[in-house]
Amino acid sequence: MSQRQLALLLIAPGLALVAALFLYPLSFSLISAFTGPQGGVSLDSFRKAWELYSRDMLFTVVIVLASCLFTGLAAIIIAGTLTLGENRWIVGTLKALYRWPLFIPFIVAAQCMRTFLAKNGLMNNSFVAMGLMEPLQAVSFLDWRGIIATFVWKQTPFVALLLAGALAAIDRATLEAGRNLGASRLRVLVELALPQVMPQLLVALVLSFVTMLSVLSVPMMVAGSQPTMLTVDMAFRINAYGDYATANALGVITYLLSAGAAIIYLKRGMAGKEVAP
Amino acid sequence: MRLLTIATSLAALIAASPLAAQTLNVASAGDQNMVDYVKDYLAPMFEKAHPGVKVVAVGTGPGDSGSQKIYEKLNAQKGASATDFDVVVIHQKAAGQMVKEGLLDKYTGNVDTAKLATGDAAKNALGTDVSGYVIPMFQSQTALAYNADMVKTPPATFAELADWAKKNPKQFGYNGIKGGMSGVAFVAGWVYAFGGDADKLMKGPYDAATKANWDKAFADLKAFNANATITPGNAGTLDMLNRGEIAIGPVWVDMFYSWKADGKLPPNMKLKLVSPGMPGQPMYYSIPEKSAQKKLAEAFIALATSPQVQADGIVKKFNWYPGIDAKNLEGKLDKADWDKLFTDVTPAELASNGKPFPIAPYFNDILEGYEKKVAN
Repeated sequence: MSQRQLALLLIAPGLALVAALFLYPLSFSLISAFTGPQGGVSLDSFRKAWELYSRDMLFTVVIVLASCLFTGLAAIIIAGTLTLGENRWIVGTLKALYRWPLFIPFIVAAQCMRTFLAKNGLMNNSFVAMGLMEPLQAVSFLDWRGIIATFVWKQTPFVALLLAGALAAIDRATLEAGRNLGASRLRVLVELALPQVMPQLLVALVLSFVTMLSVLSVPMMVAGSQPTMLTVDMAFRINAYGDYATANALGVITYLLSAGAAIIYLKRGMAGKEVAP
Repeated sequence: MRLLTIATSLAALIAASPLAAQTLNVASAGDQNMVDYVKDYLAPMFEKAHPGVKVVAVGTGPGDSGSQKIYEKLNAQKGASATDFDVVVIHQKAAGQMVKEGLLDKYTGNVDTAKLATGDAAKNALGTDVSGYVIPMFQSQTALAYNADMVKTPPATFAELADWAKKNPKQFGYNGIKGGMSGVAFVAGWVYAFGGDADKLMKGPYDAATKANWDKAFADLKAFNANATITPGNAGTLDMLNRGEIAIGPVWVDMFYSWKADGKLPPNMKLKLVSPGMPGQPMYYSIPEKSAQKKLAEAFIALATSPQVQADGIVKKFNWYPGIDAKNLEGKLDKADWDKLFTDVTPAELASNGKPFPIAPYFNDILEGYEKKVAN
């Protein structure tokens, strides 16, 4: 047996698994999304999806993009402090703390946020107890703000982890040169360090985008159902009506959204190859 | 050598035990309380009366979606020799569909207690004739829960409620239609109140043109929603009532009383069944057509629908209205336990304002109309 045949044999089980568990259901859902009630190719399900859920589509995109933006900002602050911070105590504490949310599943995070962000929840009650706020001023964050807060809290460590690694790997000499010439630490971070790690940051954000697009528990548990994210609508289509066609149409729309992110990811990957020695 | 003896006898024991034991698989749609009811209350009682039988209870989740999962499993096992479930506890919408598709066994002739359930719910599930296939496990009802400290005179009709919500923005909360059945019940009640011919929606016949008359009702509901809080789920509504974040919200009567009994709701919470009415629905005991343990399943349901169990388990322990006719519970229940169910909602109110859900095709039209005209 040649080397090539052996290699094919070795990857065959993996390929078969991908085909059976991913490609088969994917094509199945694609076909179902484009099939009309009487059979034959039709866009009926997409028309229905648009008619019923156009507002939710916009909501989903806005929520996920906003979450990505805040996640990116928070990750830059954390990773920047870790790399350029000079106070050992702050850096040490941050290092010990920031990865924790990585180990908490979305559903648990959502449940915690439900009691934390409520009008009379832990957060507002703490502010009131500290005398920072009057009880009557308390507002509930259990709506779109709650979803964004949960997503950002949950995804920041992942992005920060990748970013801190990338920042640690860049040549310290340039950063130190900047410091020696009198640039502030913020300026060194924004003008010298960040441009060098932009590809890694973008990749981490693209991966977060796709993850957040697929979460069902957070919008379901943290916020009410109007408007809501597409995952909740898909679940509802199947559970309340047994209507797989429209659910699959919503699925295809989600594929398209994540395909947009995947294109950025792949382009970055290619660009990375070209500059590599 | 001794090791070998132990190993062989262990192996023999393991091989022999499945022959001696019989397993009865009970699948319940509905919230955790439904699974707990079978697991902690019915199963030990049944196992004691039938030595060697083990009852396994599984839950498939709250709302119609839980029943949909049971339906999908039975449908997928249509060609198999036996289904995984022996007893199923399902909602009305799925029961009608399963009877139509021949997934259920016509078993009630073999169970004596079936004669004790003569109400409409035992025969008709959202417009489908289900007599012979189901016995109601319990009947539950939605009503508005309100905080008596914040609301001195609760609204008595849907129109008064709409006025009240306008004057007290964000103080009325419900879970829309995707977070559980109490929100769905509220929306159905709204369409009964403002959509025209409510009787036709409950009794049929179905006429696809009817939904055109609901446009105004949905537009008003959209305006109403602007002043309402959308809560995350049935339990979410109770949570927010408990924390004083909303003052009124639709809830299931049984959940309300159970939460109150557990101290999870303050004592100043009361119920009001507004006119023209809000829907309630039973859960049904059924046996799948392909169940491998039909005799055992029938015995289990006979026990579960016996007057004593209905009195102790359904009414006393779980605050549901009984599934069999209430007159059969006489003498089995203290007056105090019975009256507890009727403190806020009187029997007369229940009779006049306790409505069924609309028949299945109208039901779907209402949900879809809501998604199209109110939520989107």
